[in-house]
Amino acid sequence: MLEAQNISYAHRKFSILENIDVTVNNGELLVIVGPNGAGKSTLLSMLANELTNKEDLIFFKKKTFHDWDCKELAHSKAKFSQNNSHDIPLTVNDVAMMGRYPYFNSVPQKQDEEAVIKALEETDMASMRQRDYNSLSGGEKQRVHLARVLAQLDNNVAQKLVFLDEPLNNLDVLHQHRILQTIKNFTQKGNTAVMVLHDLNLAAQFADRVMLLKKGKIVAHDVPGTVFTKEIISRVYNFPCTICTNPVNQNPLIIFGT
Amino acid sequence: MQNKLPLYLILSLLLLALLAVVSLYMGVYIFEKHSFTEIFSGLINNDGSISDSDRFVLMDLRLPRIVMAILIGSALSVSGTCLQGMFRNPLATPDLLGITAGASLFAAVTIVLGVYIKPYIPEVFHFSLLSFMAFIGALLTMLLVYRMSTTNGKTNVVVMLLTGVAVTALGFAVMGLLIYISKEEQLRDLTFWNLGSVSGASWTKNGILAVVITVCYFVLLPKGKALNAMMLGEKDAEHLGIPVERIKKQIVILTALMIGTCVAFAGTISFVGLIVPYILRLIFRSNYHIILPLSAVFGSILLLTADTISRTMAPPSEIPIGILTAFMGAPIFIIILIRSRKTM
Repeated sequence: MLEAQNISYAHRKFSILENIDVTVNNGELLVIVGPNGAGKSTLLSMLANELTNKEDLIFFKKKTFHDWDCKELAHSKAKFSQNNSHDIPLTVNDVAMMGRYPYFNSVPQKQDEEAVIKALEETDMASMRQRDYNSLSGGEKQRVHLARVLAQLDNNVAQKLVFLDEPLNNLDVLHQHRILQTIKNFTQKGNTAVMVLHDLNLAAQFADRVMLLKKGKIVAHDVPGTVFTKEIISRVYNFPCTICTNPVNQNPLIIFGT
Repeated sequence: MQNKLPLYLILSLLLLALLAVVSLYMGVYIFEKHSFTEIFSGLINNDGSISDSDRFVLMDLRLPRIVMAILIGSALSVSGTCLQGMFRNPLATPDLLGITAGASLFAAVTIVLGVYIKPYIPEVFHFSLLSFMAFIGALLTMLLVYRMSTTNGKTNVVVMLLTGVAVTALGFAVMGLLIYISKEEQLRDLTFWNLGSVSGASWTKNGILAVVITVCYFVLLPKGKALNAMMLGEKDAEHLGIPVERIKKQIVILTALMIGTCVAFAGTISFVGLIVPYILRLIFRSNYHIILPLSAVFGSILLLTADTISRTMAPPSEIPIGILTAFMGAPIFIIILIRSRKTM
């Protein structure tokens, strides 16, 4: 699905990523975790084709991004960014409709309207469709952009790929779980998701595989049960922790500060 | 709301046509025949029912001037809207960024120094030399402003406006120097530049303008969706399959071409690119899919109205059109500044 070998990135001589190999399989939900400055967002940007580095080759469905047609690529790949613009003088519906821009030329078709409404319902924003985007709270804006990304990938293309950079910032517990469940359902249909998260317990609950980064290097990349061990986590985060089994869903439960 | 765009376009085009007809009848000279259809059928049939003076005023004075006001108003307003989309700021207009100043600077140099080159180039190129130089001036200023103010797709508004101020100051200095060294007939040309006017209209100029505008609109007007997506940020627009880099290049070159041509033919008419998008944004928010085509029509409406007022308010003399647009534009400039004070 997505393959990248030996990725490195440096910003003004400061190395941010060093020799990273990533392979993401079909239907996999990969969560990237790590302390601040580990290079999580940079790695996600590189995988999503935002930072073009000629030497590093990233293959999406066996083709480099360069070989893809940009409209066609927009039908099978989308990204949710961390720094969404706070000033977009449009309605919520207009912003979510941008996700459908790769599908219509001038006027949105019926299926575009339907996809937008469905996506807004998914993120619980449908009741605010006609509100001004600029009048929303931070978490609500975030949910509009999530709806936009969902609407963008609402099509019949098989094996789609979505990147999400800290999608849960500013969201309350209900919406955190709803969004993650939506992404989980998306991957269960044969699609793939790569996500940066800070909450290790949510990562343990939803991820198929977890990649733990520190200072631009991979510390561990495996199923949650193998990555989330007491010595790895306390060493990487430089903070004591205890790991037990979550009594509800049997996933690892990380408790810091003990 | 997007489906209503054709309706808005038709209504505003009707308004423009009505204004054009009204403007045709306004002025010191009064036509002998008072019916619009009679005059035009007389002109087309050429049966001698139209007097020579009527014909002259209509075909050589008023009509070319009206057409030029329509073309230039439209081009300036579309340039403003496109630049605002590219810089993601409602203050990015040809005049505030110094692009008009850059274009008129190059045009002025061409007027004064052109005397020495003109004997060596064929006469047909005299007009186009001026517009070409104005285009180069506009393009260079645009590149300077963009390079100075934008890093990684983020625009620093303060740097953007100050670069415009710097270029405008340089323009004033050079203009002063040119006025000092120029001969009398060149001086008249130069004064015309500074004030801005469509009184120098002719069918040749209108022809060139129409060709330039048609080419530019063919590329720029369908870019509404792309400019909307660029409000998300350039990276996110690219994820939506929008070729951001290519669109930015097109906007830079084509708006420079339009501004250059407008400045070459009508001097610096300021604030049109600020007023029209501002008013449209009040009604349609920032939806470029709607305001970009509408700004093409409302720019024409604004400049045609302003020009008609400028030549009828105190006949037989004319109030420079730039004064009228500045009276409308300056308060709007201040309103936008007050609104965006917190984010700057």
